[in-house]
Amino acid sequence: MMLPRSSYGPKHRAGPLHPTARIVPTRIAGGDEEEAYDLEDEEEEEDDEDDYEAEARGGGKASRSSSSRGGGGGGGGGRKRSREDNFIDDSAIEDDEEDDDDDDGGGRPKKKGGGGGVRGFFDEEAQVDEDEEEEDDGEGEDDFINDAGADLPDEDVVRGSRHRSMPMRDEEEDIDEIERQVRERYARSTHIEYGEEAAEVEQQALLPSVKDPKLWMIGHERETAICLMQKFIDRSDLQIKSVVALDHLKNYIYVEAEKEAHVKEACKGLRNIYASAKITLVPIKEMADVLSVESKSVDLSRDAWVRMKLGIYKGDLAKVVDVDNVRQRVTVKLIPRIDLQALASKLEGREAVKKKAFVPPPRFFNIDEAREMHIRVERRRDKDSGEYFEMIDGLMFKDGFLYKTVSIKSISTQNIQPSFDELEKFRKPGDDMNGDMSSLSTLFANRKKGHFMKGDAVIVIKGDLKNLEGWVEKVEDETVHIRPKISDLPKTLAFNEKELCKYFKPGDHVKVVSGVQEGATGMVVKVEGHVLIILSDTTKEHIRVFADHVVESSEITTGITRIGDYELHDLVLLDNLSFGVIIRVETEAFQVLKGVPDRPEVVLVKLREIKSKIDRRTSAKDRSNNMISSKDVVRVVEGACKGKQGPVEHIHKGILFIYDRHHLEHAGFICAKAQSCLLVGGSAGGRRYGYVRSKAWCFEISSKYFAITGKAAPKRTSYELFGGGGRGGRGHDALVGKCIKIKSGPYKGYRGRVKEVTGVLVRVELDSLMKIVTVKRDDIADTPTVATPFREPRYPLGGETPMHPSRTPLHPYQTPMRDPGATPIHDGMRTPMRRGWAPMSPPRDNWEEGNPATWGSSPAYQPGTPPARPYEAPTPGSGWANTPGVSYNDAPTPRESNYGNAPSPYVPSTPVGQPMTPNSASYLPGTPGGQPMTPGNVGMDIMSPIIGGEGEGNWLLPDVLVNVLRAGDDGPGVVREVLADGSCRVALGSSGNGEIVTVLPTELEVIRPKKSDKIKIMNGNFRGYSGKLIGIDGSDGIVKLDDTYEVKILDMVILAKLAS
Amino acid sequence: MMDDGPKYAQIPTSFGHELRACLRCRLVKTYDQFMEQGCENCPFLDMERDHDNVVNCTTPNFTGIISVMDPGRSWAARWLRIGKFIPGCYTLAVAEELPEEYQSVCQDNNVQYFPPKRV
Repeated sequence: MMLPRSSYGPKHRAGPLHPTARIVPTRIAGGDEEEAYDLEDEEEEEDDEDDYEAEARGGGKASRSSSSRGGGGGGGGGRKRSREDNFIDDSAIEDDEEDDDDDDGGGRPKKKGGGGGVRGFFDEEAQVDEDEEEEDDGEGEDDFINDAGADLPDEDVVRGSRHRSMPMRDEEEDIDEIERQVRERYARSTHIEYGEEAAEVEQQALLPSVKDPKLWMIGHERETAICLMQKFIDRSDLQIKSVVALDHLKNYIYVEAEKEAHVKEACKGLRNIYASAKITLVPIKEMADVLSVESKSVDLSRDAWVRMKLGIYKGDLAKVVDVDNVRQRVTVKLIPRIDLQALASKLEGREAVKKKAFVPPPRFFNIDEAREMHIRVERRRDKDSGEYFEMIDGLMFKDGFLYKTVSIKSISTQNIQPSFDELEKFRKPGDDMNGDMSSLSTLFANRKKGHFMKGDAVIVIKGDLKNLEGWVEKVEDETVHIRPKISDLPKTLAFNEKELCKYFKPGDHVKVVSGVQEGATGMVVKVEGHVLIILSDTTKEHIRVFADHVVESSEITTGITRIGDYELHDLVLLDNLSFGVIIRVETEAFQVLKGVPDRPEVVLVKLREIKSKIDRRTSAKDRSNNMISSKDVVRVVEGACKGKQGPVEHIHKGILFIYDRHHLEHAGFICAKAQSCLLVGGSAGGRRYGYVRSKAWCFEISSKYFAITGKAAPKRTSYELFGGGGRGGRGHDALVGKCIKIKSGPYKGYRGRVKEVTGVLVRVELDSLMKIVTVKRDDIADTPTVATPFREPRYPLGGETPMHPSRTPLHPYQTPMRDPGATPIHDGMRTPMRRGWAPMSPPRDNWEEGNPATWGSSPAYQPGTPPARPYEAPTPGSGWANTPGVSYNDAPTPRESNYGNAPSPYVPSTPVGQPMTPNSASYLPGTPGGQPMTPGNVGMDIMSPIIGGEGEGNWLLPDVLVNVLRAGDDGPGVVREVLADGSCRVALGSSGNGEIVTVLPTELEVIRPKKSDKIKIMNGNFRGYSGKLIGIDGSDGIVKLDDTYEVKILDMVILAKLAS
Repeated sequence: MMDDGPKYAQIPTSFGHELRACLRCRLVKTYDQFMEQGCENCPFLDMERDHDNVVNCTTPNFTGIISVMDPGRSWAARWLRIGKFIPGCYTLAVAEELPEEYQSVCQDNNVQYFPPKRV
């Protein structure tokens, strides 16, 4: 049965009587009192004249209110007050009547009412932090303050004063006394506990504890239950059997009695129970449930790991140093979060700027640091333990740890699973994990079922047989039978599973099965006690894990590299607008290297703390104002990471994240300001040559790097386009030292060697005039050397090992072609090759060294460089759009796929390419074999006359008329066959009647057709076509094709005179 | 069972953290009360004589309060196995076990000790 309102209630609802005693929950007058208190609070604010008075009144009020509640002790003041407050309520009225009631009933409840009424259920932590949590927390348990000296001053004082002031409440001196006590008490507590938070505490400590009605209610049930017991003793006519107050059930008590009337009778006059409280009967079935309370096992022992529940240390791991069960307090040690600066200013009496949101990061306390800031550090010996502590402002430090005494309620002890990193932090240098038995046992508490399996290698960690190694033979619940390694011992020994720990040897391949590294696999490289150092299969990083957390496994997993949308090595935006690169993915958090240059700052962030991924591609300027974009290789030239070098993975707000393979920390990532870096190959003058080169290299590196991490090769698109753009502006430095032809301007037609490039101007040493002239860059006809810069990026790649396998079959064709360096043939064949075959191209070395030396001197070579076309094309727009776009984007594709071990896209190109090689067999005149390979040219050839260097000899075809330049065989000849190695079989004589000789391409020169000559087109779309040169317009030839009678305007360079 | 003992156990004089529960019989009193009079149900634990005994045989970690007025006729008391104890305030459950040496004291006195049920 439930009591609606108290025994005074006129109507009783008679419930069915039960033969046995009955359990009746009875509502306690809790809720309404809250309201009453709220009213009081408001009032208090109004008459908040000064601290002292308020304080004193707080005390007085507390007692008044308690008395009004308490009824029994209620003097006139209390009642008066209640009325003033408009707290006219049953209970208030009841109070009056209760007074009488209690007068005959004896005075004891009064005393109790006073004692329990205004208890400040504070936890010291609650003072520290104003979160609401502590209220809940306090509510959950009977979180009474204890008088360890750190309590809220009000509590005891108020209580004490109440006792004292009951009879003489209105006396001034009493108020003074309270005041004095409050001050005294408070002063003490500050020094003992609160240290850094004193300013906050100050305010809070002065609040009357009665302000918190919720807290007040705790223990109310108990109080009622105990009061009823007392009442029973005093008045043995009560017929109730028992009264139950459950800690977790607010506002209700259960009363066991035969009849509802008995309950009412018992509750009559009890100040805590509403007269109108509802009484309900608890069904028999549920009676047992009411009483089945499982005891909370509190295994709080020294050295146990706990977590703080409140305050700035909330969530922090702490280690129990001492447990005081009597006072319900524990001393824990934790890594202090002390703002020394604030502490120093506070100690000096300056008003510390309050930054509420700021929680200092955990850091070991350093006395020297404190002394530097003129903080007085006392060294004191602890009375009990005899240990020395450094004391600052009431805070106790030892070995850098903060020793803090807190209420047991303010720490959580269940299911504490310290992460490895946390434990690491707690480890003093030289501290052996083995010695840390209890930290291990904490870990063991979280063992999963079936932790040990037959065959596991284990080591005994406790007891007489400590360090005995063996193998698991049998597991029975918690008992593990092991076969010891030492033969003298009995065959099997039984151990409690807690006495055993798994054991591994270096070289074992293991898989991590719990903890933050769960899922990772790797090889044990070192065993340090019960800690294994594993070389991760995925990241090649060393990870430290507990031996207990791994199992032997041959499995190789990648571990997790992604949670949600975020993946390893992504650049992410964090909550507080900071950003960083994910350098490690743990089970539920990321390690992020923050974008703070100079000192690496790694934070552990949860998924929800990440705002978004930063995908935007930006660029930054290096110290010499070179533009840096993603994937460029830079070198850090100043700051902590000086000397490191690697490709840029991310750029954000002028901060670069550089990946340096040789950097072992932070997954190889380095964070640096763009301004502290130099583009590798870039120079102080902002020369661009190296820029492109650097790209090449960064590809190389990043490809490898990504190959390792299993991530797809970086997107090329942007680079490719960029690289294409680079041809206009960048890469010109490659011109220096190269032979070029001037294609327009006053020096048009001259050839020379580039001496210097300054912006758009090029200084050229003219071969014929022996002088150096300055020409516009635009006036230069691009030569193969110009192509070099943008070809280069791929050569190293193409030449990279991964490419080789697919190259192999082509070697026979390529090698001879390249090596002889036969100008006409080689160059002629190169165009398609370069475009379509870039990856296949010979390694850069060959090019770089071979180019100028071999060909540079060869006049035949210098001109007629195919890559020039895009520049010179009258329609650069279309040319640009097509040529680089197609050729460059195409080219990387096979390369990428090669890295990705999917060579298929590449392979098909092989047969197509073959006709392009100077293998005469494969390309017959008229066979447009090259066309598919030079898509870029398609548009150009059709749309516009092709201008280029004189390409004679570059694209030899059979039947064309050539000049043989070889000594002895000088004179005209007709090409009969182009051999695979680039050389030609040439029939000497202008009609091809002479003997046939094999001539190297360098020894041949195409004979330029004259008007009305029969010609053959050696390059471009119409390669292999024959026609008639019907006119010459500058460098363009007007050609009428034989097959279609179409008239084409083509570069004279690609036209060769046909043997008649 | 206590023929010559008091009729009731002492009633706690406070309701807060000072309360402790006897680990054997779960009687709840303040520390001072245990010191003064010991445990009415378990005199053999000698709490009144030795401060250590009080600390060792009582605990502040307990859950819930039941005031038993009529242990013999109360179902709740029987259910909680405190039906044969003297009327007073008990707790529903304690968190700890009686230390072993005191358990043997119980045995020596032919008193059965039921360790608390663990979660």
